[in-house]
Amino acid sequence: MVCLARFARLVIGTGVLLLLLVSAASPSIAQQVNPTASSVKEQQLLQELNRIQGRVSIPDQRSGVLEQPAGREWREFRNVTLHWIGGIAILGMLAALIIFYLIRGTVRLQSGRSGRTLVRFSSVERFVHWMTATCFIILALSGLNVTFGRTLLLPLVGPEAFSEWSQWAKYAHNYLSFPFTIGVVLIFLMWLAGNIPNKVDVAWLKRGGGIVGHDHPPAYRFNAGQKAIYWIVVIGGGLVAATGYELMFPFYLSGIEGMQLAQVVHATVAMLFVAVMLAHIYIGTIGMEGAFEAMGSGTVDVNWAKEHHSLWLEEENARTGANDVRTQPTAAE
Amino acid sequence: MARMKFLCDADRCIECNACVTACKNEHEVPWGINRRRVVTINDGKPGERSVSMACMHCTDAPCAAVCPVNCIYTTADGVVLHSKDLCIGCGYCFYACPFGAPQYPKVGNFGSRGKMDKCTFCAGGPEADGSKAEYEKYGANRLAEGKLPLCAEMCSTKSLLAGDGEIIAQIYKERVTKRGYGSGAWGWKTAYRETIES
Amino acid sequence: MLIKRTQQRSEIASSGSIAAGLSGQRNGLDRRAFLRRSGLAGGALAALSTLPPGSVRTAKAAMAGPLSSGATVRKSICTHCSVGCTVTAEVLNGVWIGQEPSWDSPINRGSHCAKGASVRELVHSERRLRYPMKLVDGQWTRVSWETAINEIGDKLLEIREKSGPDSVYWLGSAKMTNEGAYLFRKLGAFWGTNNTDHQARICHSTTVTGVANTWGYGAMTNSYNDIRNAKTQMIMGGNPAEAHPVSLQHLLEGKELQKANFIVIDPRLTRTAAHATEYVRMRPGTDIPVLYGIMWHILQNGWEDKEFIRQRVYGFDDLRKEVEKWNPEEVERVSGIPGEQLKRVAKMFATEKPSTLIWAMGQTQKTVGTANVRASCILLLMTGNVGGPGMGANIFRGHDNVQGATDVGLDIVTLPFYYGLAEGAWKHWSRVWEVDYDFLKSRFDSKQIMETPGIPLTRWFDAVTLPKDQVAQKDNVRAIFVQGHASNSITRIPESLNGLKALELLVIADPHPTTWASLSVEAGRKDGVYVFPVATQFECKGSRVASNRSMQWGEQIVKPVFESKDDLEIIYLMAKKCGFADKMFKNIKVENNLPEAEDVLREMNRGSWSTGYCGQSPERLKAHMKNQAKFDFLTMRAPKDDPEVGGDYYGLPWPCWGSPEVRHPGTPLLYNTNLSVMDGGGTFRPRFGIEREEKLPDGTTRKVSLLADGSYSKDSEIKDGYPEFTLASLKKLGWDKDLSEAEMATIIRINSANPDAVSWSLDLSGGIQRVALKHGCVPYGNGKARMNAFGLPDPIPVHREPIYTPRVDLVAKYPTLPDAKQFRLPNIGFSVQKAAVEKGIAKQFPLILSSGRLVEYEGGGEETRTNPWLAELQQDMFIEISPADAADRGIKDGGWVWVTGAENNSRARMKALVTERVGKGVAWMPFHFGGWFAGKDLRGNYPKGTDPIVLGESANTITTYGYDPATGMQEPKVTLCQIAAA
Repeated sequence: MVCLARFARLVIGTGVLLLLLVSAASPSIAQQVNPTASSVKEQQLLQELNRIQGRVSIPDQRSGVLEQPAGREWREFRNVTLHWIGGIAILGMLAALIIFYLIRGTVRLQSGRSGRTLVRFSSVERFVHWMTATCFIILALSGLNVTFGRTLLLPLVGPEAFSEWSQWAKYAHNYLSFPFTIGVVLIFLMWLAGNIPNKVDVAWLKRGGGIVGHDHPPAYRFNAGQKAIYWIVVIGGGLVAATGYELMFPFYLSGIEGMQLAQVVHATVAMLFVAVMLAHIYIGTIGMEGAFEAMGSGTVDVNWAKEHHSLWLEEENARTGANDVRTQPTAAE
Repeated sequence: MARMKFLCDADRCIECNACVTACKNEHEVPWGINRRRVVTINDGKPGERSVSMACMHCTDAPCAAVCPVNCIYTTADGVVLHSKDLCIGCGYCFYACPFGAPQYPKVGNFGSRGKMDKCTFCAGGPEADGSKAEYEKYGANRLAEGKLPLCAEMCSTKSLLAGDGEIIAQIYKERVTKRGYGSGAWGWKTAYRETIES
Repeated sequence: MLIKRTQQRSEIASSGSIAAGLSGQRNGLDRRAFLRRSGLAGGALAALSTLPPGSVRTAKAAMAGPLSSGATVRKSICTHCSVGCTVTAEVLNGVWIGQEPSWDSPINRGSHCAKGASVRELVHSERRLRYPMKLVDGQWTRVSWETAINEIGDKLLEIREKSGPDSVYWLGSAKMTNEGAYLFRKLGAFWGTNNTDHQARICHSTTVTGVANTWGYGAMTNSYNDIRNAKTQMIMGGNPAEAHPVSLQHLLEGKELQKANFIVIDPRLTRTAAHATEYVRMRPGTDIPVLYGIMWHILQNGWEDKEFIRQRVYGFDDLRKEVEKWNPEEVERVSGIPGEQLKRVAKMFATEKPSTLIWAMGQTQKTVGTANVRASCILLLMTGNVGGPGMGANIFRGHDNVQGATDVGLDIVTLPFYYGLAEGAWKHWSRVWEVDYDFLKSRFDSKQIMETPGIPLTRWFDAVTLPKDQVAQKDNVRAIFVQGHASNSITRIPESLNGLKALELLVIADPHPTTWASLSVEAGRKDGVYVFPVATQFECKGSRVASNRSMQWGEQIVKPVFESKDDLEIIYLMAKKCGFADKMFKNIKVENNLPEAEDVLREMNRGSWSTGYCGQSPERLKAHMKNQAKFDFLTMRAPKDDPEVGGDYYGLPWPCWGSPEVRHPGTPLLYNTNLSVMDGGGTFRPRFGIEREEKLPDGTTRKVSLLADGSYSKDSEIKDGYPEFTLASLKKLGWDKDLSEAEMATIIRINSANPDAVSWSLDLSGGIQRVALKHGCVPYGNGKARMNAFGLPDPIPVHREPIYTPRVDLVAKYPTLPDAKQFRLPNIGFSVQKAAVEKGIAKQFPLILSSGRLVEYEGGGEETRTNPWLAELQQDMFIEISPADAADRGIKDGGWVWVTGAENNSRARMKALVTERVGKGVAWMPFHFGGWFAGKDLRGNYPKGTDPIVLGESANTITTYGYDPATGMQEPKVTLCQIAAA
């Protein structure tokens, strides 16, 4: 009660005081400089720069950014655009592959197996491929989890389990990025020679790679489709790696806008990458008879080579003679 | 129901950093984590203004929207809190936040992020109110004790206001009417999609 | 599980219990508490008396949180500036677990600055000194308190034997409580020296001298709260936004409520200036020309307050002659300020009243510091802006108790409470202390040296290193006992290193080892240095005086940590070792070597009639702390009907006349004639005689009265000026009959030979004061304030260029005062200035260097730089330089630079902060850094584990010679330097 009375008195007292002061105010008050007239204004700064930055004394200079409403656009990308990109690319690719499979089925060896094989990928090449591929699959799954997990997986497993899994997924994503990056670099160096586009590729592409009907356009060691995959891996992989590291080492390379942009590139490229890799996996497995063993055992049937990489076979034969020591009879079938 | 907000009256803020150290003191925030900071715009030039900034506890909080593990939530008071048990330290909330509020302790190698930490409006976290576990993870829970955030309570010039949005908006409006100027409620448009007419 | 809280809440909501909670009755926030917590309380927003219903947040049934339940709440005072913010601490099991806002304090109303909001860490700091240590062969070695005190005492006594008591310098602190500072001064008196000083020397010694010489007391006339009443606030030579942040609550709210003019005159566009309605940039060191420039316009336009001047001011005509020299052209030539702008300022200040003038170190830390503050006072007098609400000289002091430590005489020129050093003063204190005057005299080398001011702390190393014949005492200073003072806040650090090396003994008593320790190791000392861990003020109880003269009692929050000891205990142990503890603590209770603070205050009450520290008994002060909420925020007064503090002003701002039983309410505004004395009114103090013989141009003389003319405080029975009260004057008025028998007996005991001569300030019975008050009169009399302060080196302030000035063209016309012997030492400022001009120093070092405060740190800064919450915010020493000067030198913002100074080939390495805050040709450094010297990191020189988190170069490595002739104040605010990219 005492407090209340004090408060009331204060209120009344101030009122009286103000009255007194107003009545005593001299006309020159009207000319008083308005101190905000020259002061910085939030809306103006935002309109000019779309961010407000100032000075802070702590060494963490990024905290000098007072406001960056650009986060809103990034949020829109992450929560809406990316879902559409990912959804369309991945589901679209899956749908396309299924339809294609239903129509075309597995591409068989037209002339059957010759029983003679020929080395296509050395053990080193295969190791690099599989290392990169394994990393990619884990990176893809853990990455997709960041985008779609909250919607698809969390309701199923509950928050604790989902967080636990996501935490491990994050560690995996961060640490496996290193072997993945090394793999991409090795792939780039190892197969660069065979992946320079040339005239044959134009013809190959004109004939649609022979994917429709039973056509077999000639190709060297890598046909135009494979070259495309190669360049997608090299460029896409390079991009996801570069942007990924930018995100993994926050503020070493760029400020917050750079990181937002990096995330946009990383996620978009990764989604498309995943979609393309689905096609790659398809063609390397159920899509084409005899293709998997190229990366599996490292050898392919001569007939397979004849059908899909005729020019390469010629090259190999020319280099080593028809009775190439490296061609071996397959194990008894 | 009360809807908690912060408001920094830039015409009062003198960059004394009381809000910053009050926060450190109340929650024993470690070196390198700055739940609240004061930014000075046009430093040393005419028109210089300082603004104290922390998590604004946004309406439709962007951090919560983008969190991959859904660990950020809004309480009935409009306070945006998060669970450190669920946080995976991915940094997404930092990309989305317009105010640079989320902070990450550096853990392990190559600048990787630990669990996110940010202003809790002195309202703790998901653990039981006032529990030891809550204090250790999120700091004190003043709201549960009927107190407001210490940064605002200790503000040297009563520049930083915290409390029910309607009331602090009204306080600010009164001030502006009385003194005849006001550079606006910084961050309100971005955080709450509203401005205070002055 | 995940979002338990929201779930709980929604359950409550659905069950309807939220509605019940909304009534706000359940330990939660009621509406008023909410408003207060939202920063609303206080008059400004009266219109908001009704709030939209239901908008106040409902707290849930309060959680009896296991963390703070059972904690006790204790209140003390923040130790970081003079505003006097109450610190509210929660203590559990002897541990300080939290700080809460101090809503009840009428001074800070819950607020703090960065330092105040983090004081808890000071107590718990891991880096504090834990036990006494000494330097043995260059290594810091732990010793026991007993050994240390014995060794130090033996050494001191040995020095005393050989070189006399004046060879020991006792350097005390504004951080001590009144009780500590008083006992420290008393220790000096009993030891037998006037070489006792503290931070006021380097802070407001010039204010104390200049202001007291103008109107009687050298203190802030009004209060922080009262600034709310001003229509024009002018801040010249201060940056309260960083130095006194909580004061800005009053300044800015006052500015808003009154739509007041807010004028800032400063070389830097400070954080305070950012809120100014008028900012005036001046050249450092030209305060007097600027002030005279303002006065020139006032006189030109007849804006002066003629009636006020006639009634209450002496020496106006003398002043007018000096002001007339400062026409707008000359002012602009010297200070760089255009005449039109000063005319605008002059008009606002003189016509939009009440106006207040606020200053701090910007005016005081100069060789002309005393003259600067005098000119400021003169401007106030000319416009009639002294002695009322919203007016006055609002002098913002620096430390939490620098006003108190000054009042209790921890000083070289006076005994406690400004009694001076004359025989009468010593006799007064010998009566209060109940010791023989002859005993005190015997402690000194001679009666003459007993009555001679000591050596200012600014010159301690000169007193050590100058040839013996230049030091006017028996011998050089050979030992220094520092209790709570930084060394890096004293100018000319390179030369102080010689002093540190030459000392025979250095004792550092402080919670932190400070730069005394690191620099003495750097100076090459291997032994003869001791460090004592002293408790912070939060581990001690006692009274502190804020800048507005309010005295506040701080409780002990926690017991001294580790082996730390209370200041009072250390003083007692030293007195005991030196053999005079029995006499010194005759009337003071001592338990376990710890003197009782309350008893010390009571002794002060018994002797401090001159300053009105006599009414503030510990009981009254404690009642004020307990009843803080009852004091009005604007007037600082409690309701008259309150049983405990009724009618009192908060903290009983001195003068609080008479004995505690008189219940004088304190004096919130000095010299306010609109109130009766018993309500806090007053008059100017006639301290310099009652009349003066003036020489007229024709060679004749006339006598001019120095008493007020027709002005008197409300209800005064004498309706005119009057001199101070003595028994004789009471008899003349016939008021001696009002004295009681006991009072009369005491008066006769004081001076049995001539009782009539006993005055209001010597009467230990308080009778003369009581009777004067009874008749509505001020005990010290009713005089005129002096525009002409005869007796000072410059009775009318005169502009004098800084010792090191870039404007060598002005030195001939405005030279510094001639060399002279002051305070036992030579002051060769004139020779130094002359040599600098002749050597062309200003060409080699073209930039003006000034220094100042940062909000995060205080003083020498070791304590605050040890606090991680503060240290994180300012991690590097820096120098501000203008973009133009930086571009000329290829200096980048944030880059390393070497700063070189005009003396001793001094150099310092720090970061550059390129900013328009400083004008072209001016550089500025914060003065809180230490622990580096000339580019070298001295971290290893601290005792292990006690080094502050942040170290850096000290500004005073670069600062130079220059001392105010009236006080020995140093000149760190203006010197010259050069900056080069490192």
